Amino acid sequence: MTRSSGADAPYWQGLADGKLLFPRCTGCDRWMWPAGHRCGSCGAVGVTWTERAMTAAIFSWTRTWHRFALTESLDLPFTSIVAEVDDCGIRLLGRLDDPDRIDPVIGEPLTGRIGTTVIRTGVGTDPIPTIIWSRLA
Amino acid sequence: MTHPLYGTTAIAGVGLRQYKRGAAPLPERSVLVEAVLAACADAGFDPAEIDGFVSYGDDHNEPVRLMPELGIRELRWSSAVWGGGGGGIAGAFGVAASAILTGQATAVVIFRALVEGSSGRLSAAVMAHHLTDHLLAAGVVSPAQVCAIRATRLFDHHGVPRDIVEDLVRASYYHGNRNPEAVSFGQDFDIESLRRSRMIAEPFRLFDCSRENDGAGALLMVAADRARDLAKPPVYLLGCAQGAEAGWGDLLENDAADLYATAGFRPVAKRLYADTGLTPADIDVVQLYENFDAQGVMSLIDHGFCSHESAADVIRFDNLIADGGKLPVNTSGGNLAQGFIHGIGLPIEAVRQLRGESANPVAGARTCLLAGGPGSPTVSSAIFANRFD
Repeated sequence: MTRSSGADAPYWQGLADGKLLFPRCTGCDRWMWPAGHRCGSCGAVGVTWTERAMTAAIFSWTRTWHRFALTESLDLPFTSIVAEVDDCGIRLLGRLDDPDRIDPVIGEPLTGRIGTTVIRTGVGTDPIPTIIWSRLA
Repeated sequence: MTHPLYGTTAIAGVGLRQYKRGAAPLPERSVLVEAVLAACADAGFDPAEIDGFVSYGDDHNEPVRLMPELGIRELRWSSAVWGGGGGGIAGAFGVAASAILTGQATAVVIFRALVEGSSGRLSAAVMAHHLTDHLLAAGVVSPAQVCAIRATRLFDHHGVPRDIVEDLVRASYYHGNRNPEAVSFGQDFDIESLRRSRMIAEPFRLFDCSRENDGAGALLMVAADRARDLAKPPVYLLGCAQGAEAGWGDLLENDAADLYATAGFRPVAKRLYADTGLTPADIDVVQLYENFDAQGVMSLIDHGFCSHESAADVIRFDNLIADGGKLPVNTSGGNLAQGFIHGIGLPIEAVRQLRGESANPVAGARTCLLAGGPGSPTVSSAIFANRFD
């Protein structure tokens, strides 16, 4: 499955277009993440992709110091977070701007911009669009 | 009414072959054959009579390929529990027992084999189950990072003191130091070596993580009455549960908020205790799958041995060791200090402990909980006993 063929393809296309889009059940308005095609809560089939602002709060985090394969494009250490997006409660994995290595605090407010993470594999490079989060000043 | 699994099957033999990672003297399948033969020898059982196999965690050895070397006449059952991690380890015993109790097989081997030269790194195989572009883009590509993020939540949000993981690690090495089969045998462990070990992914340093070994483990299960006629005292399966509840499992970190910093065992533990009529207070010793020490803490909480609030009172070195502890944990050294062949050493230690063969015997132990791989989408646990009412 690729970014263009999965149930979350509109999410990836949205990032490529500079927007954060999430699927919402057409039957009960419930946010559906991970993306799917049927709401297990109300039974409706179909979603509406709905834009949300790139603002969030820190849900949890880790700072990685070990050079794991597939992270070669990221300078060590790098900080990965789970961000709870405002006004929908969906949590996203993402990266945090952390130049001064200040430990994140759960609940801390964030604002995001769209960047990329380049994955180098044996067959080439794949720039994956992703949200880079920063703490609000 | 007594549950159908309660005391109706038993482990009759165990076999373990363990080597340093990358140092197995034989290819993976040969190491596995040796472990199965060892389990049969332990039980006084002819390997030709094995007619079933169950594994977990994407073992690469399809059972039919073992038949020629073991001399098996007819294979009647081969299956595995879903999932790439160790979550299915205890569930494998329930699957094996189900095959025996429904007459579909009579002698089933539960096994796991892992030789790096044959199957590659375990961590990479586990992660292949979960890796998506969402994870890759965040630089989260390993079980250590996934579990580190959950650990941070346990410590920072739920207020469990970080340093209790040190008690779990110390107890593991205390037992490993006294176990001739352990990687840490004869080594005095200084907690400073954990505190000074290199950082992997905060909060985990190297010694917070289980390190892979080459090897294989096998356990022979038969019906309880048949086990009583074999060489070793039976170790009965009293109960087994696997699964997940709504709000848990491979949800791109969108697990229910109250489940997020658990190991996923709440529904499994509840069902296991209900099916066996036992409570945490009835468990004499625990074999606790700890891929990472914080996940071991979560598992003990999930299984009802303590709460977030009481964790620091219960998860204490003195309380976790075989010599006088009320909650002896990982009496072989566990994944951290005995060795890590995707957890298969843990049920083997459960059997040895209940036979009185452990290097760290728990006086009078009757029951042993096997808590499977924590944090997996599908998790499982089982209870064994050497006698039952």
